[in-house]
Amino acid sequence: MLVPAQYQPPLPLERLILQAGAPGAGDRMELDVLIVGAGPAGLACAIELARVARAGGRDLSIGVLEKAGALGEHSLSGAVVNPRPFRELFPELKDWEFPFRAPVGREAVYLLTARGRLRLPVPPTMHNSGNYVASLCEIVRWLGTCAEGLGVNVFTGFPAANLLVDGARVAGVRTAATGLDRAGQPQSSYVAPNDVVARVTALAEGTRGLLAQAYLEWQRVGSENPQIFALGVKEIWETKRPLDTIVHTLGWPLESSAFGGSFMYPLEPNLVALGLVVGLDYSDATLDVHVLFQRMKTHPLFRRYLEEGELVEWGAKTIPEGGYYSVPERRSGEGVVLLGDSAGFVDVPSLKGIHYAMQSGIFAARAIFQALSGDGPTAARLAEYDRLVNSSFVMHDLYRTRNMRLAFKGGFYAGGLKASLMTLTGGRFPGRKIATEPDAEIARRVRTARAAPGPFVPDGRLTFSKVDGVFKSGNATRDTIPTHLVVGRDVTPELADFYSHVCPAGVYERTDGTLRVNAPNCIDCKATDVLGPRWTPREGGSGPKYKRM
Amino acid sequence: MKIAVCIKRVADSETRVKIAADGKALDEAGVKFVLNPYDEFAVEEALRRKEQAGSGEVVVVALGPAAAQETIRAALAMGVDRGVLLQVDRIPADGLVVAQALAAELKDGGYDLILCGKMAIDDYNHQVGPMVAELLGLPCVTSIAHLELQGNTGVAEREVEGGIEVCEFPLPAVLTTDKGLNEPRYPALKGIMAAKKKPLDIKPTALAVGGLEVLAMTPPPDRKDGRIVGEGVAAIPELLRLLREEAKVL
Repeated sequence: MLVPAQYQPPLPLERLILQAGAPGAGDRMELDVLIVGAGPAGLACAIELARVARAGGRDLSIGVLEKAGALGEHSLSGAVVNPRPFRELFPELKDWEFPFRAPVGREAVYLLTARGRLRLPVPPTMHNSGNYVASLCEIVRWLGTCAEGLGVNVFTGFPAANLLVDGARVAGVRTAATGLDRAGQPQSSYVAPNDVVARVTALAEGTRGLLAQAYLEWQRVGSENPQIFALGVKEIWETKRPLDTIVHTLGWPLESSAFGGSFMYPLEPNLVALGLVVGLDYSDATLDVHVLFQRMKTHPLFRRYLEEGELVEWGAKTIPEGGYYSVPERRSGEGVVLLGDSAGFVDVPSLKGIHYAMQSGIFAARAIFQALSGDGPTAARLAEYDRLVNSSFVMHDLYRTRNMRLAFKGGFYAGGLKASLMTLTGGRFPGRKIATEPDAEIARRVRTARAAPGPFVPDGRLTFSKVDGVFKSGNATRDTIPTHLVVGRDVTPELADFYSHVCPAGVYERTDGTLRVNAPNCIDCKATDVLGPRWTPREGGSGPKYKRM
Repeated sequence: MKIAVCIKRVADSETRVKIAADGKALDEAGVKFVLNPYDEFAVEEALRRKEQAGSGEVVVVALGPAAAQETIRAALAMGVDRGVLLQVDRIPADGLVVAQALAAELKDGGYDLILCGKMAIDDYNHQVGPMVAELLGLPCVTSIAHLELQGNTGVAEREVEGGIEVCEFPLPAVLTTDKGLNEPRYPALKGIMAAKKKPLDIKPTALAVGGLEVLAMTPPPDRKDGRIVGEGVAAIPELLRLLREEAKVL
């Protein structure tokens, strides 16, 4: 058995948290409000803040830092989107003016076996009537343009690397340096880190946010259960055969001890987004989400659409799946708020997070504006953000499904039964919290060489290797950057194997019994940050360049 | 030192482009546009010359659609002082028409130096820079990889096949820039912030009728799958034979 936590290096807090004014920065910039991450949460926050400030006759300087080279290039989701926060943010617009593709029409859920399928009734939590199929990249580009139109400064290509603090107060962030060589030495294109200081810093870094993790650990902010994650691998295909239904599947190719499922959505009739999402609490050390996803596409259900089609994009991302009990007990503090995925606002049974993320951003904006108008962004004033979220549909929805993902810790079939009972009882069954442990604490079964499955051989038409995937993610990271991944010591061959299966992008390879790290391949999905080597930011614009993910 | 840089908004080379329904242009939906990489060298060189001179002005001029303002802002964020957009619905296929519009804008600007990228990565024409020089009656050195300025004289190096050509020229002049001239800077946070407040003059522009028309665009043929001829030293004669007889590359 292999317990990943035993090999995982600790979060390097001493590096991540710096006293404001610490040496090492080039430029220094002051803002009223700094938002870290131009995703749906951060941009909704920026837009609402700019609007309430304008309505209140105040001129706030608002900046958004984004590590991707351009808006949306690190954003990935399914996605079927609930338009609710768009309507709240833009009451003057009609639904058709939002950056969605098409309203959800037909829906189907299947239980797959290796060759066959069984159509299931659509579970109540998964009804999507009134929702829209969308690309998160497109949503983010649209929101970013709106924010800039309102005077918000969006700085793409600037990852936040350190949290600047002053006592218990968050004072801003320091960005990552640019232009380092493989040994970490400045080359001719070197640009020093920048300090961006602000009265309020909103951490909207997305899933497994680095500075959000650092803040919670530094301030010892707990949650009832630890956060748990899933990994999703996604592709976009141009198909010859049109698709008119949003499809979800359970079962094959996952064994019953793993939690997960697939999705297939039409962005256009002949432009299809599909993916496989698997909880990182699986028990087989050789489980490989990318490979399972490739196998899955050979099933007749998918093959009939994809055959003769063309893979146009590939990507991967983790999803915080813990739900209600994994949300930190507070998401606000002195000079700081945590938004969206960084705070864990995701509802697994309905497969939704974007509208919660945006709503949390909207609430945060209102609390920030009030605090800045009053006696300042103290912890007490910013706690208004937590009150707004707690009394809204965000926490209400998460509470109703609070144990549903956790029920599947006991396996797929028992989980399905328990989840049905939870739906029937409005979340009251089983009457108590199901306790969980972090994904890295779950022991994994290591198979002997003989029992391990043979290597997967992609055909280059329907199925693809990890390297093909990284190419299709648009990742063109300079291969001379220093490694940004912090690997623990004493990596055994079994552990190297495990990492190579966890990572969907081929960053980790076992060669001659040792671990080889191909850091430029990294597409920032954060899967190994959950289970092994830690992820830290590298120079701006590195990583994938998603277009329609 | 007053320097003008002509820049162009082009589709990012990493973008997957599709041919539009009319078969004569690119379908711009979902395409990311960037500052033409060869023009980035020109912008960088202009900024360095101004920094060295200790004073002066760098102006970028772009001809393109309204969206090219974004491209100009990118140059402003690098440190350029102001921008001019010669606004047209679409960039014409005929480089001469573009050069005429640019030359008309630059004519009375009093520039010591006019820089252009040696070519745009979307049309590979290499035309506009030399044409601007001709229309303005100025000397022109193309594809420069190194530049020295001394008073009213400049010396530029061009990387030609098998060697380096050194050209001396009087100022004012038009130069087109090649890769290797410099390493363009990343915009700084403060530069991005400042770029929003820098002057950007938008001039609706009527173009002359060009002598070129795009009749059709076609994608390159699909690459054929590779073939494994054999393994090890024994496979070399067969590989050579195939390269000679089938692929006809030897």
